[in-house]
Amino acid sequence: MKYLGIEPQKPKIAVFDFTGCEGCQLQLLNKEETLADFLSAVEIVCFREASSLCSDDYDIAIVEGAVSRNDEVKRLEKIRETAKVVVALGSCACFGGVNRLKNEFDLKAANKEVYGKDPKETINVRPVKDIIPVDIEIPGCPVSKAEVESLICHVVWDSPFQLPVYPVCVECKQRFTTCLFDIGQMCLGPITRAGCNAPCPAGGIGCWGCRGPAVEPNYKSFFAIVKEKGFSDIELKERLNFFGAFGEVNVS
Amino acid sequence: MLFKTIKKQDFFDVFLPDTQCIGPKKVGTNTNGKPIYQFLPFSSFDEIDLDYDTTEYSAKTYFLPYKETLSSFSFKDNDWTQEIKYRTRPRVIIGLHPCDINGLIKLDKVFEKTLFPNPYYITRRQNTFVVGIDCKEPCDGGFCSSVGANTVTHGFDLFLTDIGDRYFVKIGSDRAFNALQKIKTSEITKKDNEIYLQIRNKFEGSFEKTVHVENLPNLLDIEFESDVWRKWGEKCLSCGACAMVCPTCYCYGVTEHISMDFNKSDKIKQLYSCNLNDFAQVAGGHNFRPEPATRLKYRYYHQHRGFVESFGQPMCVGCNRCGRVCLAGINPTDVISDLQREQKR
Amino acid sequence: MKKIMQSYDIRHETDMVEPLDFNRRSRLKDVDRCFKAEITNVIRLTDMEKLFQIRMVNDKDWERFTFLPGQFVMLELPGYGEIPISFSSSPSIRSTIELCIRKAGKVTQALHKAKRGAIVGLRGPFGTYFPMEPMKGNNILLIAGGLGLAPLRAPISFVIENRADFKEVHILYGAKDPSQLLFDYQYEEWHRIDDINLEVIVEQPDKSWIGPVGLITKLLDDIQITPDETYAIVCGPPIMFKFVCKRLSEMGVPMQRMFVSLERRMHCGVGKCCRCNIGSTYTCLDGPVFDFWTVMNLKEAI
Repeated sequence: MKYLGIEPQKPKIAVFDFTGCEGCQLQLLNKEETLADFLSAVEIVCFREASSLCSDDYDIAIVEGAVSRNDEVKRLEKIRETAKVVVALGSCACFGGVNRLKNEFDLKAANKEVYGKDPKETINVRPVKDIIPVDIEIPGCPVSKAEVESLICHVVWDSPFQLPVYPVCVECKQRFTTCLFDIGQMCLGPITRAGCNAPCPAGGIGCWGCRGPAVEPNYKSFFAIVKEKGFSDIELKERLNFFGAFGEVNVS
Repeated sequence: MLFKTIKKQDFFDVFLPDTQCIGPKKVGTNTNGKPIYQFLPFSSFDEIDLDYDTTEYSAKTYFLPYKETLSSFSFKDNDWTQEIKYRTRPRVIIGLHPCDINGLIKLDKVFEKTLFPNPYYITRRQNTFVVGIDCKEPCDGGFCSSVGANTVTHGFDLFLTDIGDRYFVKIGSDRAFNALQKIKTSEITKKDNEIYLQIRNKFEGSFEKTVHVENLPNLLDIEFESDVWRKWGEKCLSCGACAMVCPTCYCYGVTEHISMDFNKSDKIKQLYSCNLNDFAQVAGGHNFRPEPATRLKYRYYHQHRGFVESFGQPMCVGCNRCGRVCLAGINPTDVISDLQREQKR
Repeated sequence: MKKIMQSYDIRHETDMVEPLDFNRRSRLKDVDRCFKAEITNVIRLTDMEKLFQIRMVNDKDWERFTFLPGQFVMLELPGYGEIPISFSSSPSIRSTIELCIRKAGKVTQALHKAKRGAIVGLRGPFGTYFPMEPMKGNNILLIAGGLGLAPLRAPISFVIENRADFKEVHILYGAKDPSQLLFDYQYEEWHRIDDINLEVIVEQPDKSWIGPVGLITKLLDDIQITPDETYAIVCGPPIMFKFVCKRLSEMGVPMQRMFVSLERRMHCGVGKCCRCNIGSTYTCLDGPVFDFWTVMNLKEAI
């Protein structure tokens, strides 16, 4: 495709992993039917899961995972200096993710609990945007490959890249899922950003909010509904904190 | 209109198995122990229950799918070609209640009998054989009788009313007439008419909820700045569930998606909701309806004023699906009576 | 096995195989078919706006394509999206159509990168138009603020071409600062036409600016009109036409003789998607041109 007289860019992309499960990186290599096209659309110069080579010459840095050590802070700063565009990939990079649960505990005690007599250097878990400016965020645990592909089209063709502003409810309804509140479960769908195609509610599991808040969610009304349905503040808080995506929302 | 009666077991012989059939299937039970029904494809009549009260979703998705590809562009040498397909397959939908059929009649007005007829909709409508059935009793919160949507005279192929061991059948199209040639039917007797009218009268008399919609176009103008909107707007989650389950809401958005090999781009239509945050946002970021309250108000305004202005009747068919699906408990009966109370104060 | 449904294909309907008329009213047609058009020239107007000269690739299509001042087309950039744009050129020019486009959203950003020779798609023309014929024999005020000159340029061209049919002609244009003035190369031409009054005003002058300074309404102070014989076309941001129309109203011009063009996001252009609804009025079908009385009665219009 050469179109509008615009020459396509073949951007150099580097993928970096920080604190996380590397599931989002694996997701980059998912979807076999378009994988070959995906890999030939860009020049991957650094991606541990696909190639052992690594170069410092790249335009776009895709950062997966949260920051939980001081050396990671320095690494991120270096990446920001090199890359033209920094993309935070996945819930850990965007919000801190499940790792952020660590922040609820005393750091020393947590370290001892996990590593015993051999403690490791550690700091409170922070999302990438707390350390360096981030240009594009793709939330999700894991991210959706469709959104990654849309990102690639965006960097190659400058075509629109936009996350849905609406909540998960829309996608549940569009695939005939019965509302989980109707069958007695809690679900963060009404305040969580759509784009995942609502697989969890369709499988009978209420949304845990891995994609973070939709645009201008109505927390006040939603929390009142959750309580009215008989769920406790503790249950609600636990869910909101799980991916760390809702920050310090006051549930009462 | 032609009428017949058919023995129940004879009736089902007509359809299966060569056409895709859609009907009300039980998909679960809610926390109150009530069954949840949805219109879904079925392969045996044992799977559906024509005595259902109401479905969670309306049947509009079989005419206006939530997502459809309007056209595809293929790129070559700085040029492109556009391909448009009206994808369709013949279908039979069995068990639509009068509210759903009235919803289709309203959609016909928007998509078929209009300045710019929409081939995507028309193809699906023409290729769908609609079998309606009368409700046995009013559903939870339904107020179809208030908006004149509790009966239908057209918009279907066949319409059934349960009169004991037989169906009282209205024939609405020639293809339905032809289909019935293949099975045993009986002519209507005077007795049948009596039973039918008796059942219908009993049903009409059993509505508890009444919503007065006659004065709404005027009232909505007068109460445009009313606090009622703020009150309900504060509850609204802006989740769009109401529009998704509504039999008549048809607003949509169009986006384009370039394929990963960069050779193709699809123009995809997705049903949207005027309650969603960016519905009225324009290029450059300005949003004409930034608050949930103004968006909620717009939805009522479109249903009960704008549509009346264009087509002489409200868009709402009184099925109360939006009221049941809304987690925040926003339902048309309460919102409208709140407005009317405001007026009287 | 009894088959009751035969597949029914609307493409076999006679309407569908007839040649297309462009705006496809009341006919069952391919509503989503774009007509291929080539960008023949790109003219930079300011840092934010460019003027695109476009013509249909197929000569047969081109012969049948006509529009009226005030109408719009849906401009398709395959892969990027489709946007509504008002015509900026005279309907009588048969060589090209001209669209003045500001870099505002994602589609227009891509369009601004497009080069001469790029192939885009057009659907239309759609919408209502300025009633130029009934205006003949009267004075006419053509008033624009900012980007409003883009849609106003079509009726301006019409009036200039049919100068004999109008009495007094005033063209009033206001912008924030001189760098944002559109079509500045044309003012000289309009100035030189005998008996056309052109006034340009800016809010924030730079050092070289010698014209009047202030808001557009200021230009109305010096104009004497006979309200009964005057029509006005006002294009610009809502806040601007609200004040201008209020002022004209005070001068005695009836609201039904003032015409404005409204802008909304549209996804279909044919009264289906509801994105452009104001209250419950479709901007694409009942507009974009409205008389000011109608606008006053539309909720949320301004």
